[in-house]
Amino acid sequence: MNTSLNTREKRFIAVAAAIALVFGFTPVASAMHIMEGYLPVGFSVAWGVICIPFLIAGYMSIKKTLKENPKTITLLAMAGAYVFVLSSLKIPSVTGSCSHMTGTGLGAILFGPTAVSILGVIVLLFQAILLAHGGLTTLGANTFSMAIAGPFVTFGIFILCKKIKINKHVGVFLAAAIGDLFTYCVTAFQLAMAYPSESGGVAASMVKFLAVFAPTQIPLAIIEGILTVVIIIGLETYAQPELNDLGYLAGGVK
Amino acid sequence: MENSLGKSSSFIRSGEKAEHEAIHHQKIHHHRIGHKHGEGSAIDFYAYASKIRCWNPTFKVVFSFLTLLLCIGLNNPFVSMAVIIGMAFLTVVKGGLPLSAYLSVLMIPLTFILMGTIAIGVDFSSQPAGQFNLFLGFGYVFTSVGKLQEMAFLMLKVFGAISAMIMMTLSTPSAEIIGVLRKAHVPKLIIELMNLIYRYIFILLDVFNNMRNSADSRQGYGDFKTSCYTFGSVASNMLVVSMKKANAYYTAMEARGYEGELVFLEDEKKHQVSHLIIAVAFMLFLMLLGIMTH
Amino acid sequence: MSEPILKISDLHYSYGTGNPALKGVSVDIYQGEKIAVIGSNGSGKSTFFLNANGVLKADHGEISYQGTIINKKNLKELRKNIGIVFQDADNQIIASTVMAEVGFGPMNLKLPREEVLRRVEEALTTMNILDFKDRPPHYLSGGEKKRVTIADIIAMKSEVIIFDEPTAALDPLNAQMLEEVLVKLGEEGKTMLISTHDVDFAYRWAERAIVFDQGKIIADGTPLEIFKNARILAQANLKRPAMLDVYEMLVDNKMIKENNNYPTTPEDLKVLLEKQFH
Repeated sequence: MNTSLNTREKRFIAVAAAIALVFGFTPVASAMHIMEGYLPVGFSVAWGVICIPFLIAGYMSIKKTLKENPKTITLLAMAGAYVFVLSSLKIPSVTGSCSHMTGTGLGAILFGPTAVSILGVIVLLFQAILLAHGGLTTLGANTFSMAIAGPFVTFGIFILCKKIKINKHVGVFLAAAIGDLFTYCVTAFQLAMAYPSESGGVAASMVKFLAVFAPTQIPLAIIEGILTVVIIIGLETYAQPELNDLGYLAGGVK
Repeated sequence: MENSLGKSSSFIRSGEKAEHEAIHHQKIHHHRIGHKHGEGSAIDFYAYASKIRCWNPTFKVVFSFLTLLLCIGLNNPFVSMAVIIGMAFLTVVKGGLPLSAYLSVLMIPLTFILMGTIAIGVDFSSQPAGQFNLFLGFGYVFTSVGKLQEMAFLMLKVFGAISAMIMMTLSTPSAEIIGVLRKAHVPKLIIELMNLIYRYIFILLDVFNNMRNSADSRQGYGDFKTSCYTFGSVASNMLVVSMKKANAYYTAMEARGYEGELVFLEDEKKHQVSHLIIAVAFMLFLMLLGIMTH
Repeated sequence: MSEPILKISDLHYSYGTGNPALKGVSVDIYQGEKIAVIGSNGSGKSTFFLNANGVLKADHGEISYQGTIINKKNLKELRKNIGIVFQDADNQIIASTVMAEVGFGPMNLKLPREEVLRRVEEALTTMNILDFKDRPPHYLSGGEKKRVTIADIIAMKSEVIIFDEPTAALDPLNAQMLEEVLVKLGEEGKTMLISTHDVDFAYRWAERAIVFDQGKIIADGTPLEIFKNARILAQANLKRPAMLDVYEMLVDNKMIKENNNYPTTPEDLKVLLEKQFH
């Protein structure tokens, strides 16, 4: 400390320390949904508008799949429910904290990113309704970060790794983990846009948000990567026919 | 902290548990108000139990959403307070939700709110600035009275917005919310998917619970590594089961004459004029409050 | 005898590339019959049901309902008149409230809303679950879900009702409820087919039994005829009903006189014994 502490400063330090302590013990890592009320109306609308082209593309692709094979409706719905349930489960952690997968990375690998965009909006809406995670006015922003940006990056990396012939499981790990990290960066950016720092503008604000969420999000991304690989291995060993079924959904990519 | 947040996964649970909870709830409600019985129960479950469930769902959804917009749009601490009080009144007093249960739902986003708000309220600088600062070796973390006030107002606004949203979710079952979206001309395909997904969520949760218990009974969650492995196996198994069920479902739907269009019978609940008047009055009051305290 | 309500001739069906599941099944079903369909798992019972309802399209063979041969155009008639109550209620219930669920079939029949509401009410009353109308299926117990799935079919006013292993996973109380419902439906003149592994149930309830084995019907007759035929029982891996064993033991040991009036329930036996000794 450069100057002697006055009482107000002392109190501030005490509060900061207490908060640091609390988070040190209980990092809760499903926190990347932007909560209801955080975004000003303008930003809510803007992010919603940005999502529209992606959603239309997703809608069209689903509609086309259904036209070719009407039976996929229940399969798609199950996929959506699966992503929801997966994201609502407590995942194993070293510190005993409570965290959740996003599940959209796995969804993108299995079902393709366009289908996931539509399923993602629905899942996010149900997360808001049933779990009070996220919100209605922040639906657009959350959709962009979690159901569009993350899945597309995941899918891109997955395909890239396949092309350059990296071990498939390493590819899945990288795809899921980087997709998660990307979601986290996009969310930080969205918050920074809405709350730019007085001293350093959007960039400085983004650094702050990244820093605040890093302790929970970086380990989470790694765990998400590991779990996605474990799930894929499980599917490969005893669910080849189902995987082929899904290949249909992903437009034969898998 | 851990307590209020760790619960989020158990906020959805299988029917049996909720049923049990309901019986439990009725038994003890009159004797031990302070008991933590509400804790961990599903928002979904509360919605079905709410005393204002019989209100017209379109009214609830529109009112909740407009209030939410006013709360965010007016961005005024007094408005936020009014929204918090008004919505709590509706949910707890009118809806008959135990206060402890209401608070536990309201606290779900607490971590995000604290972390997010701190990130907004605190700034870095190489020089000491603001009224409060803390030297961290490479620079200063600082904040000011203005910033702290901004943080407090933001938190009020967020809680207001959340209480407006959960007024709807704690009193309107998802199937009815989907019905409102259908009336609002959301594409049919989306509505069909939502209806099916909502139903499947609970089916998969049952599947998951059974698998988890069986894995648990075989020491599948012993240490971190085993836990990861078990979680992965359960999750991939769950996917296989869900795919099989998807096919079985389609068959059952076809057997009852499904021909590509999913239409459900919806209950029609009448609008009540008095509700409309009160809702409009409340929103006008919010606007006036916002303007007067600007 | 009058014309069969459902006539199935030489039905063949195979799933995808796999083995044939039905290999030439022919059966005539008459109005008001109570038929037990028995046979081990994988013998083709469920495939037969799905074909009878028109969900699966036979590779070969013909189905006629009330004299009309079913083709693509009148398939809907078949689905409307032949209802299936599936084994696992959770694979059948698709709506999020009991009312919407029971209304699903009638809605698909494109009935006017008032008629749908009336039928839903009626079906729920029959099943004694009118109180559950607004409840979501995920807060119902197993037995309650079963009732809902039966109400589903009642609301469609199907003439023929197929139950796929209805007693599996039901507790004794609910199993009894089910039998009461079956009696009620029988009184309304519905034709019923029930697949079951419970030979005692088949013996006391059914008027006719059809035995499936490896995709074929190997026996068709009264339950008594079938359960007395050791060759069929061995081929289809079936047990004999306890009441039949008891009766024959009593006859063999000369404790009662054989009079071809076979008791199917302990109550029947009691009456018989009382007659014998008083």
